[in-house]
Amino acid sequence: MPRLLKFNIFRYNPQDPGSKPHMDSFVLEETDSMTLFIALNRIREEQDPSLQFDFCCRAGICGSCGMVVNGRPGLACHTKTVDLPGDVTLLPLPVFRLVGDLSVDTGAWFREMYNKVESWIHTSKSFDQSAVEERMDNEVAEQIYELDRCVECGCCVAACGTARLRDDFLGAVALNRIARFAVDPRDERTDRDYYEIIGNDRGIFGCMGLLACEDVCPKNLPLQNQLGFLRRKMGITAIKTLFRR
Amino acid sequence: MPIDSTLIAGRPARWDGVLDWCQMLSGLGLILFMWAHMILVASVIIGPGVMNALARFFEHTGLAQVGGPVIFLVFLGHFLLAARKVPFRFEGQKMIWSHARMMRHTDTWLWLVQVVSAMVILLMGSIHMWVVLTDLPITAAKSAARIQGGFWLAFYLLLLPMVELHVGVGFYRIGVKWGFVKDRERKRFKKAENLLTAMFIAIGLITLIRFWFLSA
Repeated sequence: MPRLLKFNIFRYNPQDPGSKPHMDSFVLEETDSMTLFIALNRIREEQDPSLQFDFCCRAGICGSCGMVVNGRPGLACHTKTVDLPGDVTLLPLPVFRLVGDLSVDTGAWFREMYNKVESWIHTSKSFDQSAVEERMDNEVAEQIYELDRCVECGCCVAACGTARLRDDFLGAVALNRIARFAVDPRDERTDRDYYEIIGNDRGIFGCMGLLACEDVCPKNLPLQNQLGFLRRKMGITAIKTLFRR
Repeated sequence: MPIDSTLIAGRPARWDGVLDWCQMLSGLGLILFMWAHMILVASVIIGPGVMNALARFFEHTGLAQVGGPVIFLVFLGHFLLAARKVPFRFEGQKMIWSHARMMRHTDTWLWLVQVVSAMVILLMGSIHMWVVLTDLPITAAKSAARIQGGFWLAFYLLLLPMVELHVGVGFYRIGVKWGFVKDRERKRFKKAENLLTAMFIAIGLITLIRFWFLSA
């Protein structure tokens, strides 16, 4: 006898002046290997076609379906209903701008963040497309790849106490991004350059170490270690900067 | 994060890193002090003579007279530094409490434990330091008399767990925040820290009981 799952879903359409934020309940029979993504699609198909939520890849790669599942930010497609109690409350990710219901605009936030951290390789070398690609130590390549696995779902930002308190905080995703370029030998930026971006309360020193980012990241990125690494690195740069002037 | 292509010039961000160092170092200093303080006070469990001898040493060397006010200044400084992160506006308070309730995430709650205990310690710790430092020398008999009055017993029964929780959580936070403790060691470190906190609270309680029954 399959379980009956009760979904309490946040509803609000900012485009509609008559819409008021409220919770709607939907009941669904649980099926084998059901994920939240499957459940939401079934609700939309069978019960309420106006339900808004984002998805794209269904496989934890695109990072579109981030939402707050029973209090914790996570990916709908990564969450199996078998791991959830019979009552499931779904809310849109905080911090990001609400599109409607469970759909939020993470794109604008990430675009702005990438501009701020200048999320590209800074090099003085000009690119020669006919040349053989430069070699990189395998260990370094793996280190970069490990941090590059981020799918930009925004869960770490939504789970962050600091990001909730101050809207100029860059969040773990941005700091992880900087850590990724800091290990990349092709990026010629120095610690002082990184310090200009994250050596302040909007960056690494704003982090209060609550580590919710580490605990909710659907890709299990080593955020705690990266934040600690950056705090020490930028802390030393802060002292150096102080004595240099 | 709002989208903007402009920036506000002259934000004093240069000091953020230095202030973060100061917050961590003052916190670490106070943690070490609190551990040493516990040894001094708990020495009464062995015997009032041991505590008196230790107290005499600190007064003869001038450590109590100079160190006391210095600790008080570090204590106030640490509060000011850490308060940079505490939301004092109602909006921020509402936000962080509802965030913690939503997340049901221990480390987020532990931060609120730190904030609340900090406020209690700021007030009660100041009173404690004033009372002790304006009535030197410290002796086991004087401390016992104070505790046996009843009011101060209740006072310390509240202050003790607040301090130990704040010290314990603070120690854990420094470890994970500055990367001294890596992700793999985090769980074990937290368990050890909880155990240490419980142990210090227990020693403190035994000390209070000892004072309560100490006859002058």
